[in-house]
Amino acid sequence: MDNLQIGRHISGQFNEDLERVINNVMHMGGLVEKQVADALAAVDQRDVTLAKQVLSKDYQVNAYEVSIDDECTRIIAKRQPAAGDLRLVMAIVKTITDLERIGDEAEKIARVALENFSTSQQYLLVNLDNLGRRVLEFLQLSLDAFTRMDVDAAIKIHQMDDKINREYEALIRQLMTYMMEDPRSIPQVMTVIWSARALERIGDRCQNICEHIIYFVKGKVVRHTTAEEMKNL
Amino acid sequence: MISISPKVLATGSDALIKSPLDLNNLPPEQVALDINKLNLFYGKKQALNNITMSIPKGQVTAFIGPSGCGKSTLLRCINRMNDLVDDCHITGEINLNGHNIYNKHVDVAELRRKVGMVFQRPNPFPKTIYENVVYGLRIMGENNRRNLDDAAEQSLRSAALWNEVKDRLHESALGLSGGQQQRLVIARAIAIQPEVLLLDEPTSALDPISTLVIEELINDLKKQFTVVIVTHNMQQAARVSDQTAFMYMGDLIEYSDTNTLFTTPLKKKTEDYITGRYG
Repeated sequence: MDNLQIGRHISGQFNEDLERVINNVMHMGGLVEKQVADALAAVDQRDVTLAKQVLSKDYQVNAYEVSIDDECTRIIAKRQPAAGDLRLVMAIVKTITDLERIGDEAEKIARVALENFSTSQQYLLVNLDNLGRRVLEFLQLSLDAFTRMDVDAAIKIHQMDDKINREYEALIRQLMTYMMEDPRSIPQVMTVIWSARALERIGDRCQNICEHIIYFVKGKVVRHTTAEEMKNL
Repeated sequence: MISISPKVLATGSDALIKSPLDLNNLPPEQVALDINKLNLFYGKKQALNNITMSIPKGQVTAFIGPSGCGKSTLLRCINRMNDLVDDCHITGEINLNGHNIYNKHVDVAELRRKVGMVFQRPNPFPKTIYENVVYGLRIMGENNRRNLDDAAEQSLRSAALWNEVKDRLHESALGLSGGQQQRLVIARAIAIQPEVLLLDEPTSALDPISTLVIEELINDLKKQFTVVIVTHNMQQAARVSDQTAFMYMGDLIEYSDTNTLFTTPLKKKTEDYITGRYG
C-alpha cells in the first residue's frame, strides 16, 4: 500500500473513492482465489456440493467486476485522474477484467467435479493436481504483489507463467498417450484437457496482473515483451 | 509518451503513436523562442531561477504550476511586460529568431508587435468591434479601408468570431459576452500577424462552453502562430498543449511533451502537483 500513497490527496473525497475501489479489488481478488482453490479441491475430492457452491458463487465475482468498473468510470468522470492516479485506475480496470475471467475458468474447472469418472479413471484427475497447485500459488503471489503494488515481486513472478506453460504441454502429451492407449477414455481425457487448459489460461491472466502492476508503478508497458527485455527494467 | 518495446512499435503501431519532439535538441529552424539562463528579481527577491528552455515553433506550450511559481512572470518576460514593473531586474537572455530580446537596442514596441498577448480578463477598448480589431494596424499606419476590412474579417474568422459579429461590426465591443470579448481580444492580437501569441490564463474568467470554444481556437491558432499559454487549469493544459512546463517556486521542474507529463511524469514534484497532492 505504501507505493499507492492514495491518502495524500488534498481532496479527502478523492482519497476515499480510491481507497474504496482498492478495497473492493482486494475483496474480489480474495473471492476469486477462493473460487479457484475450491474448484481444485472439489475436483480432487470429488466433492459435488463444493463444486456446485463454486458455480453458484461466480455471480458474486461478476457483480464485483461490474461495480468496480462502474466506480472507476465515475472516478475518471469526476476527478480526471492524472499520472500515477490515472495509471492506477487503468491498472485496476484491466486487473478486474482478468480476475473476472479467472473466475470463469474456476467455474469450468468445477464442472469437471460434476462429471462421471469411474474409479478406474480417477488416475486421470491426479494429473491436474500438480498444475493446479502451481497455478494457485501464482495467483496468490500475483494478488499479493498487487496488494502491495510490489513491482520487484511482479517482475520476478511474471516468469512463473513459462514454467506453467511447460508443465501444461507435458501434461497434454501425457494425456494424448492415454487416449492412444485406450480410445474409450477419450471423453474423460478431453474433460481433463479442458480443465488443464483453464488452468493454463489462469496462469496467463496472472501474468497480465503482474504487467498491470509494472505499468502502474513504472509507467512502462511490458505487454508483448520478451523475458530478456523484462530483465532490463 | 510511455515507453513501448521496439518490437511492439515495429509491428505497425507507429502510425498510432506520434513521437514527441526532443526538446533538449531542437533543430534551430524549429525553435521559436530560446530562453537561456534567465533569472528575474523583484527587488531582492528572486522570482525566476536560471530558466533554460526551447519553445518549438507552431506548437502550443503550456506553463503550469501553483500560484506564485513564476509562470506568469516567465510569460511576461517573453514580450518584456516586466519592464513596466519597478524594481524588476533580469539577467540571461530570450532569443526570438536568434536575437536576444533583452539587447538594449531592441525596440520594445516592435517586439510586442511580434509577440502578442492576451490577458485573463477580456480588455476590449471602448470602441466598436471593428475598430478594436484594426486598432493595431491603424497605429502601424495602415489606413487603406480595403486592407483594414480584409484584415478585420480574416482576424475575426481566425478567432472563430466572424459569424457571430459580422452584422454588428460597428456596434460597441462592450456589448459582447465575456467569451466573445475574449475572442475579440485574440482577433485584435492576431490582426497584426505576430509570430508568438502569449495567453495568460485566457479562460479563467469564462464559462465552460466559452472555454471550450477558446480551446478549440487555440488548436487552430497554432497552425499560424507559436502559442504559449499559462493556465491554472491542468486539464486545460493537458487538452490544448503539445508541450507542458511545470514550474515551482521559480524553478522549471519538468518540461516535456504533454502526453508524457500527464501520464508518466519523471519528477515526484510534478506527479504530486498534477495528481492534486499539494498546490
